[in-house]
Amino acid sequence: MKSRKFFLPYLLAAALLVTVCAPGWAQAPGQDSKAVSVSKVERKGLAPVSKEILRVKLPRPVEATLKNGLTVLIMEDHRLPAVSVNLSITGAGPLFEPSDLPGLAVVTAQMLDEGTQTRTSRQIAEEVARLGATLGASSSFGSAASAISASGLSDNFEEWFALFTDVLLHPAFPADELDKLKQRLKASLRQQRSSPDFLVSERFNRAVYGDHPAAVRSATPESVDAFTSEALAQWHRERYAPQNAILSFAGDVSASDLLPKLEKWLGEWERTELEIKLPPNPTPVPAKKVYVVDRPNSVQTSLTMGNIAIDRRDSDYIPMVVMNRVLGQGPAARLFLNLREEKGYTYGVSSSFTALMYPGPWRVGGSLRTEVTEGAMTEFLYELGRIRDEAVPEKELEEAKRAMVANFALSLERPTQLLSYARTIKIYGFPEDYWDTYPAKLMAVTAAEVQRVARTYLNLDTMQVVAVGNAGKIKEIMEAYGPVEVYDTEGNPVAEEAVAATEAAEAGPPAEVAGEWELTLLGPQGSITRLLRLAQDGGTLTGTFAARRGGEAPLTGSVKGNSISFAVTRQTPRGERMVEYSGSVDGGTMKGTMQVGQLSLEWTAKRKE
Amino acid sequence: MRKARVFLAGLLGVGLLVLVPLAQGVQAAESGKSAQSIRLEFEEFKLENGLRVILAEDHSAPTYSISVTYDVGSRNERPGRTGFAHLFEHMMFQGSEKVGKGEHFILIFNNGGGMNGTTNVDRTNYYETLPANQLDLGLFLEADRMRSLVINQANLDNQRNAVQEERRLSVDNRAYGKTFEAIFETAYDNFAYKHSTIGSMADLDAATVEDVAEFFRIYYAPNNAVLALVGDFKKKEALAKIEKYFGDIPAQPPPSEPDMTEPEQKGERRKTLEDSFARLARVDIVHKIPPANTPDWYALDVLGEVLASGQSSRLYQKLVKEEQVAVAAAGGVFMLRGPSILLLLALARPGKEIAEIEKLVYEEIERLKNEPIEDWELEKVRMQLRHQRVQQLQSTSFRARLLGEYAVNFDDPGLINTIGEKYLQVSKEDVQRVARKYLKQSNRTVITTVPKPAETAEAKPGE
Repeated sequence: MKSRKFFLPYLLAAALLVTVCAPGWAQAPGQDSKAVSVSKVERKGLAPVSKEILRVKLPRPVEATLKNGLTVLIMEDHRLPAVSVNLSITGAGPLFEPSDLPGLAVVTAQMLDEGTQTRTSRQIAEEVARLGATLGASSSFGSAASAISASGLSDNFEEWFALFTDVLLHPAFPADELDKLKQRLKASLRQQRSSPDFLVSERFNRAVYGDHPAAVRSATPESVDAFTSEALAQWHRERYAPQNAILSFAGDVSASDLLPKLEKWLGEWERTELEIKLPPNPTPVPAKKVYVVDRPNSVQTSLTMGNIAIDRRDSDYIPMVVMNRVLGQGPAARLFLNLREEKGYTYGVSSSFTALMYPGPWRVGGSLRTEVTEGAMTEFLYELGRIRDEAVPEKELEEAKRAMVANFALSLERPTQLLSYARTIKIYGFPEDYWDTYPAKLMAVTAAEVQRVARTYLNLDTMQVVAVGNAGKIKEIMEAYGPVEVYDTEGNPVAEEAVAATEAAEAGPPAEVAGEWELTLLGPQGSITRLLRLAQDGGTLTGTFAARRGGEAPLTGSVKGNSISFAVTRQTPRGERMVEYSGSVDGGTMKGTMQVGQLSLEWTAKRKE
Repeated sequence: MRKARVFLAGLLGVGLLVLVPLAQGVQAAESGKSAQSIRLEFEEFKLENGLRVILAEDHSAPTYSISVTYDVGSRNERPGRTGFAHLFEHMMFQGSEKVGKGEHFILIFNNGGGMNGTTNVDRTNYYETLPANQLDLGLFLEADRMRSLVINQANLDNQRNAVQEERRLSVDNRAYGKTFEAIFETAYDNFAYKHSTIGSMADLDAATVEDVAEFFRIYYAPNNAVLALVGDFKKKEALAKIEKYFGDIPAQPPPSEPDMTEPEQKGERRKTLEDSFARLARVDIVHKIPPANTPDWYALDVLGEVLASGQSSRLYQKLVKEEQVAVAAAGGVFMLRGPSILLLLALARPGKEIAEIEKLVYEEIERLKNEPIEDWELEKVRMQLRHQRVQQLQSTSFRARLLGEYAVNFDDPGLINTIGEKYLQVSKEDVQRVARKYLKQSNRTVITTVPKPAETAEAKPGE
């Protein structure tokens, strides 16, 4: 039922399907704060597994270059009477947008099928639908390319491909359609600010890319206002150049039949002088920073942390692929097994890295319920530390590499996947046998190499951390991981006082604790009870705590809702020492833990009558 | 491979294999119509313990997919025990006699495969795709948990929390996350579809290990399941392995059929939700319709496509392009085995009223009642459905799931081939007739989701 109808998959999925592994993995065997059972993954090793890795030879597409410089790749596959087409135009992507017009490339692509010199927007939509085809253009932020893709049946291929060439070569960018699109865009700019995923990626990209254009993740209301038909037409004229593009076909077509026709259909698309000049490469951010995006009412914290690493051509790419697999790619990886299967903190957790024509970031992250934000940070740091500090055990490494090589067999079911491999060779100028030798290169990666790339790139002292969630509950926690800046969901910085007010509102009015208390410390050898005097001004505490040998030591602290914390300054022969108390208030009693250095003790307190 | 053949001979020799061929492939529904007719050849068998087996060989890639579809969904749940079908899907990854807790994931992914499990109102399925040389692995994993799932208090507690976490992600922390629950809750009278698949937390908390074990015994029996295998294997070999792994799992008395009767709705129902994450108002308009795979349902599916599917649809053109009262419009029918629904939804453009959108939607509905759809619209739906079917058949996994689903929901895996014919039988007059019959105000439920006014006034003084 899920995807029988392509217009409804989202709706149906959301409404009716609950899955064990949602896209990007899932199923959170969780535990909440009261159930502390930790459930270990258990390997019995009794399943019948073929020891051989099924190695496959990936078929290569037919390749040709048209007179205008356009590269054509054709993967014939006659199993089913369907064809899919993708045109990827490097140089036409948002990476090259003027900085004052974010979204120009994206909107140009979106407007391609909103009217041509001979067809209205409505005519295009109706013709595409009548032919049972799909047609769309897209461009994602950070990409050097824009893309047009289409699919349909092979028996009316020429009819629907004519629509494809029409929107590519003759878009009209009609002003009335642009105005309508602008209205829809403005609404979606508004709606996306409710999505934690968008807020994380917006803040994380700003943090790691800095001035690099890949920092941009969205158009702005101002840029949307500024788009004109002429600006779009100019972008299309100047940036959609055949010599920088790859047109690929997969499915029920014949290369020998198709190539001469393409010369005719696309002959008028003229070669230009445009050369691709990338902006200066981003470099890793040198200092640790934490960004909290306050999304009120959140019941989860969405965390992402990382920093700039490598580009796609880097010789460390393949060891990084293996390292990433071990650390956090998929349900057999360390992050999933630890944070999800053992700790039950989350439904989905993973690591990834972006390596394109310019260096992109590594990152780890996931969405976790608010209450375990701190525990999750601890585990993320533990796993990052572990892969840096310890060589991956041989068995684990072998399994990870084997998994990746074996997975190539599955790509044979998807000709479009095979084409994307072929495009990678073209775009990055790799040798023709790149994918043939790729399994061997993966298998050759050693534990020492994995550790080396982890130590080189996963730098915990400089990584950028983004947490989207309820700032009133998580800001204080996040302060342990670096200097914190707080933003609202609109992307604006939030003043310190406003955050404090939110925290206070979140916690409720501070409990009344002023007065005298008998505080009992429960030590291994028995308990000690002493007098605690507290004075209170709103959420601020001052007071004294009786010392062992008489006299009183001063304390300062705070009350937020029912949470109390205070620090007592003691004079010792070796100088001043801080003893920290934290706990909760329940009317006339309090309880919590005391911390001094490595020592931690529990305490209770009773209001003195 | 050689080893497997020896096994097969041994099995056949001692006569353990009890197979009942039910169908030898299927007839081409559209044969001769055009080169486009796609037929998936498959064969059906039944093990002695009642496990229905569907095999479709396809040697075009060295991969195979397995799906096991159980005839249990949230429709089988009773009041006070909601969320069980889905809780169970999670329990199925907690280990069985020979598979450790969480080991399923590791075994599949470390051998280059992919997997998932899903639950909906009508059925629960589990599926894996693996390289062809790991045929034993997929069969073994599915058989072991069908035979010997580990059900204990620790796993149950653990998975209860898992479900809460999933609910947070997909419902509680997301814009419009609660809208669907409200649609089903309001539109349906019969409990089977009225309650949500993810269930009530109170019910899950009340569940005991005994309840869960009983649920497993009743619904996770071989005679209540369909195994579909699609891809690069040899039929005989696969059958022998299936018998080896599944053959000795005992059958259980068949579960009772849930009562799905839905009383006729006698008046329009309306509900408004406040959503603290939504930034745009949204309206969902629902009409109750007959179960899927009935003549009227096919006509309503065509109607739904014409009215609300894609940029060429009437609602998109009217609401989004011409009148610009909405920024998105979509809809269609749900393919349910019980009483189904046609859903239409629109996201309001900021500053525009839901009432205005509703009025335009009802005008379009009246148009469908008063005049037949146009020829090109009917042609469009037929072409789109054909293209979709071709696309669906590309992956072995989708084929395996569809065969299992059609077998469980409609007792007809052959629908994978004949469904195109059923759409061809829908005429323009049928569409007009079902519009008049089902798209009535008295049969309508309208759910409006509005952005909840921010609480910033108290929560953030000074802003």
